[in-house]
Amino acid sequence: MVAAAAARPGFGARLRAEPAFAVALALLWVLLAFFILYPLAALIARVFVDQGQFTFAAIAKVLTDRNQVAAFRNSLWLGTLVGVGGTILGFVFAFAATRCRLAPAVVRAIDIAVLLPLVSPPFTTAIGYIFSFGPRGLITYDLLGIRGASVYGLTSTMTAETLTYFPIAYLTLRPMLAAIDSNIEGMALSLGASRARVFRTVTLPLCTPGLANAFLLLFAASLADFATPLILAGNQFPVLPTQAYLQITGLFDLSGGAALSLVLLVPALAVFLAQRFWVARRSYVTVTGKGAGQAPFDSVSPAARVVLVAACVAVTLFIVYLYALLVYASLVKAFGANDALTFEHYRAVFTEGLRVLFDTLVIAAFATPLGGLYGVVMGYLVTRRRFLGRTTLEIVSMIHYALPGTIVGIAYLIAFNDPPIVLTGTALILVACYVFRYGPTGIRTTMALLQQVDPSLEEASHSLGAGTGTTFRRITLPLVLPAFFAALGVMFIRSMTAISATIFLVSISWTLVTVRILENMTELRLGMAAAFSVVVVIIVFVVIGVIGQVLRRLRTPGSKPVTGLLAA
Amino acid sequence: MSIRTSLHAITRVVAGFALAALVMAPGARAAEVNVYSIWPENWAKPMFEEFEKATGIKVNFVRFSSGEALARVIAEKNNPKIDVLFGGPVETFAAGINEGVFEPYKSPSFAKLPARFRHADGQWTAIADDPLVFMTNNKFLAENKLKPPASWQDLLDPAYKNGLQMADARTSGTAVTRIFSILEVNGRDADKAFAYMKKLRPNVQLYTKSGGGGTLPVGLGQAGGGIFFIVDALDTKAKGYDVSISFPKEGIGTSAEAIALIKGAKNPDTAKKLIDWATSAQMQGLFAKHKINFVPASPDVQIEPSLAAVLKDAKIFPIDDAYAGANRKKMVDRWVAEILP
Repeated sequence: MVAAAAARPGFGARLRAEPAFAVALALLWVLLAFFILYPLAALIARVFVDQGQFTFAAIAKVLTDRNQVAAFRNSLWLGTLVGVGGTILGFVFAFAATRCRLAPAVVRAIDIAVLLPLVSPPFTTAIGYIFSFGPRGLITYDLLGIRGASVYGLTSTMTAETLTYFPIAYLTLRPMLAAIDSNIEGMALSLGASRARVFRTVTLPLCTPGLANAFLLLFAASLADFATPLILAGNQFPVLPTQAYLQITGLFDLSGGAALSLVLLVPALAVFLAQRFWVARRSYVTVTGKGAGQAPFDSVSPAARVVLVAACVAVTLFIVYLYALLVYASLVKAFGANDALTFEHYRAVFTEGLRVLFDTLVIAAFATPLGGLYGVVMGYLVTRRRFLGRTTLEIVSMIHYALPGTIVGIAYLIAFNDPPIVLTGTALILVACYVFRYGPTGIRTTMALLQQVDPSLEEASHSLGAGTGTTFRRITLPLVLPAFFAALGVMFIRSMTAISATIFLVSISWTLVTVRILENMTELRLGMAAAFSVVVVIIVFVVIGVIGQVLRRLRTPGSKPVTGLLAA
Repeated sequence: MSIRTSLHAITRVVAGFALAALVMAPGARAAEVNVYSIWPENWAKPMFEEFEKATGIKVNFVRFSSGEALARVIAEKNNPKIDVLFGGPVETFAAGINEGVFEPYKSPSFAKLPARFRHADGQWTAIADDPLVFMTNNKFLAENKLKPPASWQDLLDPAYKNGLQMADARTSGTAVTRIFSILEVNGRDADKAFAYMKKLRPNVQLYTKSGGGGTLPVGLGQAGGGIFFIVDALDTKAKGYDVSISFPKEGIGTSAEAIALIKGAKNPDTAKKLIDWATSAQMQGLFAKHKINFVPASPDVQIEPSLAAVLKDAKIFPIDDAYAGANRKKMVDRWVAEILP
């Protein structure tokens, strides 16, 4: 690395020395310019240019409106609560899964249950939540006998979002905890440190990048989520994405909605930058690379173990309950009115709903490998290579993840609807939207993974005479492979379940199952919405299972099994 | 399996999908028409299937609520993706006229329609009429010893506190029709109307994104009642939910549901055929067959007896579309500023 940093060759020299690197870098910049910067510029132009005149009117209107300022505050508060709560919950689950020596079957059952909120459209949890905690909710009214319970507001939104998004933290933290060589913890214990001290001084610091990463992802996810607040926040707790969405779709005020979203971009970028510089100052390298095998020792006291496992089981059961409601709603004639068993909703899904399923699968089939590849290549480049504009490249690649999806959708609509570049109505615009919006999950997973492995591994390979290509293929690729497959999983899940951006990009030719589900809910076809959701969840689970199988086969003999989530 | 062979396998799979997508991509069809439907799919789909059966013209459509559909039509103005905007209250269409997104067209039925069911220049034509109603949950009424509300004042009863759901004026045409109904029963005195809405506010649990969004909560008893279009309310009742439908004695508004040709439509001929069909008895005579409780706009179609029975003693007035079109933005802005927070 020292050598690479000392000699910073010009682009021409780079091109000759490492053509693959130069080409990849150029290609990435072109793609980012085209699919991130250009639509964003079109959107900003919409906010600040009115009939050829530069104006602050749209932004000023947002900043002087008391309701919008309250929405801004609410968004930050909600994002913080969900970020902290979700990270803690995700860490508890990851820690229990890797350190509590649970039976593999139990871990697998928990894995499947916590994955549920991630693999279903975000509003399905919210709906189950309303049925349970509303004025006549199954839990509040039927079980506890509370009259006039209020379900709309901060508490509900926060709980539903935390339940929906904490698996992201779990996904991020679990491979990281598993990758920490447990011999280090074992050594600290045998040197006389208490378990709490080992946790505080060894385990936790090693997880810092993962925790920061998880918080960032959750904060961003909450900031961008409009579906959950739309259903649960009510009118007393407005948040910015919902306000922007309503501004655009309801009041036809494109510049007002875009202005709201630009305001929202500020905290998203601030958190991102703070995390970068905070994390960048810490060292979290386990020099041995991957751990050399799970040492048989107890890093968790029996009492702590009970608490951890109980917490995980309680949360898991609550999630299972919400989804049992969903399955029930898909199997009865009319939820709450007619409990007769029927398969008519499933029949409808596989007849009139078949086209929308097919469209969604085709889009996902393209977006998944492209997004996985994009995430790993980008993550590798910005972590392991030194080149001019590296930080800029990384920040640009994160923009669409931080931006509320509503705005990305509208930006694409503005940018790609008119000549010279017409993409609306095509499958490409949906694929591109998913790749650049959800690829960053893969980038961050790759970065976090590579940050744990000392670059000396690659340097050794270099100094032993291997070329860049060989080193990448033989050393780096196996290292980042778990991240690649995690990225594939996340890409596929998102392609099947996301709605906020793509609701603007569906067209006559290509439409998506999530949009259909939301429509079904508003047109009183709850049974069909539930049946669609169940089918989506099953499809995602099958595909994720296959990805897990592939990952298991890829494992080179002798190395420790990578307890990545998807291989479980 | 080595990494290399598995990468090859992945490449093959991707290539296979690419090929499959190319093969299955929709090819050029002989006769088709592209539509954004504001009517929910469960009503639009049977209508379009009947149209296909009658004419052989294939209808490609996606459903959006009125605000979203219009926002898209406006965004796509320079490169229209659709030929026809189908369904949705006329206030939405009035807003579209201001943006210049429609192409005037007068179908053969146009001349026969009453003035309030057609735009003078043919920018839009009505395909149905849709009155608002009060819908309340019977269990809620029984528990609170209430009768179904028979006056706007009844909704102010403290028993409804935090118990009503109705549409959000930012997205829903239903809400706009409701606001203009309240204006109308208050003699178009905006201050009086907004004073009423302010008094009603504590009883509102939630303003929903779509007009029918509150029907399921009312059906389930999560909310005590609300104000909805009759088509949504009767559908809730038909699904088996125990609800009452009632009308205020002061009167309540009805809004025409419209259809319009998009300016720059790529399939103008088939689009016109769809408009001809939808504005005539050919389509509106099929409402009853598919249990769609819209009131037909065409004078050639008899209103379904069961629907007529519900409407028998109701005092219903049309929303003046010229007045509504001119004041829509002002009223919605005022609603957002004064009532919503």
